[in-house]
Amino acid sequence: KKSEVSGVMPKADIKPKSIYRAKKWSGDVENLYRFQQAGYRDEIEYKQVKQVDMVERWPETGFVKKLQRRDNTFYYYDKQRECEDKEVHKVKIYVY
Amino acid sequence: VRGPPLAGAFKERPRKPTAFRKFYERGDFPIALDSDTKGNKIAWKVEIEELDYLYCLPLFFDGLCETAFPYEFFARRGIHDMLEHGGNKILPVIPHLIAPIKNALSLRNRQVICITLKVLQHLVVTVGEALVPYYQQILPVLNIFKNLNVNSGDGIDYSQQKRENIGDLIQETLEAFERCGGETAYRKIKYMIPTYQSC
Repeated sequence: KKSEVSGVMPKADIKPKSIYRAKKWSGDVENLYRFQQAGYRDEIEYKQVKQVDMVERWPETGFVKKLQRRDNTFYYYDKQRECEDKEVHKVKIYVY
Repeated sequence: VRGPPLAGAFKERPRKPTAFRKFYERGDFPIALDSDTKGNKIAWKVEIEELDYLYCLPLFFDGLCETAFPYEFFARRGIHDMLEHGGNKILPVIPHLIAPIKNALSLRNRQVICITLKVLQHLVVTVGEALVPYYQQILPVLNIFKNLNVNSGDGIDYSQQKRENIGDLIQETLEAFERCGGETAYRKIKYMIPTYQSC
């Protein structure tokens, strides 16, 4: 199966204006958790740093499947939820 | 009249050095350990899609016999990632995985058996009926440990919650084998484990 990809082009050097913490789990929070585990703020920073316009996702759930870290090693993520309830409050949500 | 001596069915066998440990210490595996606040995570130096599964996956399965850190951790997480992202690269490798699985189970080490059972559950969900021809090689040791449940009366058995109770894990694994194994799965399981009841 071909995994779904998101095709939004990264804008050059966008910085967030504010930040707050997640209170409740959702699909977006799960993806943010995965990006932050790999050392990025969110999908926008990942695309800026890695100069890619797509992120590999699981077609069934839409969660991020694979990310390349800044040291060029790869992190692989499960199809199902990985962010436990006790980790949700650590996820940062950036507002642009 | 004294009874016969113990046969030693539950006795732990001595462990031999594994090929996984040898290859890991040589630096042949494309993996790195990364510590984060949640625990340890495995970072891959090459993409899993580019790995030679026929070479790597049996070696990782060989590492199931390990109990020491970081060997046990790398083997367990490495197998998990490779099974999760392997797709149809796993099917041709199955015959080469049976020997390491049998070796791990035959050690009769509780920790190794728990980890191997969880790996088997993941494997059977991934490959389905392709594992059925090998049931008769994998199941004999499970028959020995099937009733290894703790009788704690009205006390709380925390190993159940942590998924370390061998009796329960074996039951879960057999149910997964039956659900994912197709029509002949139940018959094969019942042949090796006569006390198993269908789910």
